[in-house]
Amino acid sequence: MKYAMFWGCLIPAREPNYEVSVRKVMPAFGIELVEMEGTSCCAPFGIQSLDYTSWLALAARNLCIGEEMGLDIVTLCNDCYESLLMVNKMLKADPELKNQVNEILAEVGKEYKGKVDVKNMVDVLYDDVGIEKIKDAVKNPFTGLKVATQPGCHLTKPRRIHFGEREFDVLDELVRATGAETIDYDRRQSCCGGPLRGINDELARDVARMKLISMKNVGAECIVTVCPFCFLELDMSQLEIKRHFKEEYNLPVLHFAELLRMAMGMKLDDWEIKLHRVPLNPLLEGRLQEG
Amino acid sequence: MANLSEELEPSFMHEVANTPRGKGVLTCIQCGRCSSSCPIARLVDEHNPRRLMEMIILGSRDEVLHTKLPWYCLSCFTCLDRCPQGGDVAEVMFAIRNLAVKEGNVADGFAAQGRSLVETGRIVNPTMMMIKKREKLGLSKGPSTATEEVQKILKKTALDKLIASKRTVKK
Repeated sequence: MKYAMFWGCLIPAREPNYEVSVRKVMPAFGIELVEMEGTSCCAPFGIQSLDYTSWLALAARNLCIGEEMGLDIVTLCNDCYESLLMVNKMLKADPELKNQVNEILAEVGKEYKGKVDVKNMVDVLYDDVGIEKIKDAVKNPFTGLKVATQPGCHLTKPRRIHFGEREFDVLDELVRATGAETIDYDRRQSCCGGPLRGINDELARDVARMKLISMKNVGAECIVTVCPFCFLELDMSQLEIKRHFKEEYNLPVLHFAELLRMAMGMKLDDWEIKLHRVPLNPLLEGRLQEG
Repeated sequence: MANLSEELEPSFMHEVANTPRGKGVLTCIQCGRCSSSCPIARLVDEHNPRRLMEMIILGSRDEVLHTKLPWYCLSCFTCLDRCPQGGDVAEVMFAIRNLAVKEGNVADGFAAQGRSLVETGRIVNPTMMMIKKREKLGLSKGPSTATEEVQKILKKTALDKLIASKRTVKK
């Protein structure tokens, strides 16, 4: 399988550990990721808050690049996914809106045709690769590790544009394929707080804290996410919460691609380990080294 | 609750409904399921989606568009999924944000995202240190960006002027 890869802004700029793991894991399953040239910001909710038309035009322009390549687009970031998926569905369903957007795109010599689909890495792993193949590729299973999963809001909501509740179960199934256990917690479907970073930092921290309490209450040992915003928020807010509330949760946060990569027997480098503010050491020194 | 001493503008509900993403306000029955679903409403009194919808319906235009009220929402879409009326509260939030921005009311963080987008085509860019690190790892400097094309589009949609018009917001 071959896809146009939409890396987004945040992952290459702040979380190259996520990018590197995806670049190692996906080809191992025969998924070829082709670089998209000349993309831009996807126009996530922050830009959508400023102006509706700018959102549609920027998202559609990115979709055009996938169309020119003749490939469906794969996203990693939940916000890229939501923005591109939503606009793709809106423009496919509404010819008048499509014409309006194409008038803007004509400025840069592009035309949106509605020929490609937008997917998330999770769906590619689940639908194209499949759980059985992933299980077969696991060499160092995380047997007994209790994982609280964090799919993130924009992978799963609004339900009408996603696969309903499927995504919650998909991420859990993928995590279980690495040998780990997934545990349910009462705020599993709740936001991480990240969208309010830079807008209202204290409130963002407090939303994250509710989530962490809920995870810790059911005995989670680590958090596994696919969203770069959830990763930063849940990882960094633990340091803030320690300073402010004198509470320690010690819940390391991993990208799913990192977990899978380790389970497949590919170790993380030191620089990657250092990009996790909540130390991964107990995880790495314990179960991983046994494998 | 709406400030009754304020002049109400009953046409405001229709102004919101006619703004892209805003039409859900017409179906609101004030049941409050949005507020009971909202992770922010749990933590701060100021943010209450049901009350905000009520203020729109009553026509408290000034209080909705010229205060911090539009800027608390996380866009987590929980309220939208749970609204029994298909009222799309989280979508209506985008409509009132777009209207507020036109009148100079922008949360600083979002204005900064807009400026970065206009200048570079992205809202987050790798630092010099990160670029060096990426090159050392054999990665590209970062995803290639068509900054000029983005700027042309944003000139056409007038986003550049929109964020330049930011004014001070009431309390």
